Amino acid sequence: MQDVSIKTFADLQQEVVQAGLCGKCGGCVSFCSAGQLHALEPDEQGFPRYSDESRCLKCGICYLICPVTSDLEAELQQKFARELPAGGRMVITSARSTDPEVRQVATDGGVVTALLLYMLDRRLIDGAIVSRRTGLFSRVPLIATTREEIIAAAGSHFSGSSHLERLGEQYTTYTPTISAVRGLAGNRLSRVALVGTPCQVNTIRKMQCLSILPADVITYTLGLFCWENFAFTAETLQNRLGVDLDDIAKINIKDELIVVLNSGRTLHVPLAQVDDLARPACLACGEFANDYADLSFGGLGSPQGYTTVLIRAPKGQRLYTEALRQGYIEELAFSDASQMRSEKTKMMAKVVAFTQRKRERGRVRKAELAAAAASVDQGGSSG
Amino acid sequence: MAKPRSVLVIGGGVAGIQAALDLADIGLQVHLIEQKPAIGGRMAQLDKTFPTNDCAICILSPKMADCARHPNITVHTLAEVREVTGQAGDFSVLVHRQARYVKESECTACGLCLQKCPTKVADEFEMGLQKRGAIYQYYPQGVPAAVAIDREHCLRLTKGRCGICERVCQRGAVDYADKDAELVLSVGAIVVATGFDPFDPTVLRQYGYGKYRNIITALEYERLISASGPTGGHLLRLSDRQPAKRLAFIQCVGSRDVHSNRYCSSVCCMYATKEAILANEHDSEVRSTVFYTDLRAAGRGFQEYIARAQREYGVSYRRGRVAEVAENEQERPVVWYEDTLAGRPASEVVDLVVLAVSLVPRRGATALASTLGVELDDCAFIKTDPLSPTDTTRPGVFACGFCRGPCDIPESVAQASGAAARAAQVVLGGVAVPSRIAEQG
Repeated sequence: MQDVSIKTFADLQQEVVQAGLCGKCGGCVSFCSAGQLHALEPDEQGFPRYSDESRCLKCGICYLICPVTSDLEAELQQKFARELPAGGRMVITSARSTDPEVRQVATDGGVVTALLLYMLDRRLIDGAIVSRRTGLFSRVPLIATTREEIIAAAGSHFSGSSHLERLGEQYTTYTPTISAVRGLAGNRLSRVALVGTPCQVNTIRKMQCLSILPADVITYTLGLFCWENFAFTAETLQNRLGVDLDDIAKINIKDELIVVLNSGRTLHVPLAQVDDLARPACLACGEFANDYADLSFGGLGSPQGYTTVLIRAPKGQRLYTEALRQGYIEELAFSDASQMRSEKTKMMAKVVAFTQRKRERGRVRKAELAAAAASVDQGGSSG
Repeated sequence: MAKPRSVLVIGGGVAGIQAALDLADIGLQVHLIEQKPAIGGRMAQLDKTFPTNDCAICILSPKMADCARHPNITVHTLAEVREVTGQAGDFSVLVHRQARYVKESECTACGLCLQKCPTKVADEFEMGLQKRGAIYQYYPQGVPAAVAIDREHCLRLTKGRCGICERVCQRGAVDYADKDAELVLSVGAIVVATGFDPFDPTVLRQYGYGKYRNIITALEYERLISASGPTGGHLLRLSDRQPAKRLAFIQCVGSRDVHSNRYCSSVCCMYATKEAILANEHDSEVRSTVFYTDLRAAGRGFQEYIARAQREYGVSYRRGRVAEVAENEQERPVVWYEDTLAGRPASEVVDLVVLAVSLVPRRGATALASTLGVELDDCAFIKTDPLSPTDTTRPGVFACGFCRGPCDIPESVAQASGAAARAAQVVLGGVAVPSRIAEQG
């Protein structure tokens, strides 16, 4: 008596992956693995595909939780109160880690790393979904459960890593059967923080709307500002920026692409100049400031060495305040209240401007893709 | 038309089970209705019973099994009473039975669907200390041994997606098309045994429940220390899952208090003693302090039980009312209290605080009383008379167990047998036996 009209992975492939909208967040694969269905896997490039189609129960959940599909949009907004212009209720602030070791490896002020360490120290979490750098543009997703692993994962990354898939695998490892689930004792991963891009937070929030695994173990979502992820290659770097891959020490995106070379020289590249190198899906995505996260972070708006923090949910507020009180982070000092107000207004204006730019870019790109798809369809039917 | 030779028992806890068994053994037909997917009630959630330290589920299970296979008993789960008409000897009862979405006759509770259900929601039986699927077994030893679907959370029923449990079920037991049903039962008498709910201590802010993670209620503690519970019986702090070595039991939380419930819940001094003993039995390094108002040990073997707790299990009793529970930097609860014997304020740092919360009538008990047409006392327990303790104000309707006032398990069982005997009199007597309390009134 299954409704024949429900959309399944086949629709997801057609409407999202083949349409060039898949951001490789890994949500669908993580769900399928965590639920021990094991019908999906990431391909070499990180796009989802069938690993074993016969195992697919056509449950339609992968389609529902995809950040690109919109069936759960109303519930998402209702539950996580997204508001214009840049996400839910928020306070903006600028801060940095108090730990020099963290600041050393961080892209900006290392606030995300500092908060993860705080949560781990206070046992608010069992681990955090992060990714460990193995090269400038290569990262391996992992669930960090120690201070060392968290610090090794510091620094942002723009090559995109489908680290949610890892959660699916680990979820099954730690909670193999319902009879063995011992939420408090045996299952060491029952409270996990997610550090992720808007698409990753979005898929987790959709899972939470449905109360499904593996999102039940995600207790904190730390969202990163996300303009786009780049698909750089040694070749494009050489052609576009005239730099050698091996010469690059650090990459950051604020209101421009910042490339720090080993020589100490810093390149500032306007984003418009590299937009075409972004992963195609990112160009169709309209979310910059990680609207559904508990807290959002990015370099945009803050001075060098500081992180801009958007505090959204009350839970995010408590976390930030406690970490501040206990000395894990420190706030940017302002000369007086009026300077603080004016600086924060400027920061906020930047975040809102980027949010609007990205939303508009996504809207245009989606319309282009839809038009292209429509013309292909027409061509097909007339032929 | 002949008067019905059957009795309705409302509530499938230990009292309702006992009443049903006694009536069925007499030869009467019994309809036992239970609002949860399985019978067992609060006793099934307990780890051990005082003062004998018997395993609660082990002594309850045989009675549940007897209920399930007794030819004279029909168990209706997920059911509640909607309407009662008629009079003693000849009642007509409208029962609403919520769809289970699983065919009881086909389900073997193999657990395959439980493993595959993607939904994770708070497990009520485990007091929210672990999660369960939208298809779930209320608890492993539950009777009937069949799973049920929680329609609030099932994605197949709410969103038309998923359908995984139906596909994995080898027996074809899942039935999403199942519908709620109304049944009309003709019974000669009614026995009410709806039991209690624990009082929610969140409103008593001084105890820090809900604010600090290492402060739990006694029923949560029972699940924590139960071998079939969420930690497999390991007594762990909720904040960091480290073994709890120092425990504080705070008595009379919401009881004997004009601001919440004036009455004494009667079982807390003894169950706190039991819980403290069990902690020490699990781990001999554990030390417990019971902060009490008055130590009430009125029952056979109770005083000796307390003496043994002090002598053999490292339990201290401190007379004092707790003013506040705070928390230190290590998330260890700090109990601030006045030692009323020494007449001085003091504090104690522990790993886990267990609140002996007041026990109150089940949610919905007041509405049920009005459906049944029985009066309640000023604490919302079913009104009875000292010399006919199981008669309600309505002839033919009887009450036993905690729904008529605080009592422990043996007393609930004794009352159940008493109520069963009174109900049998009504049905077998051939004439309506007027309620003694109603006669007096």
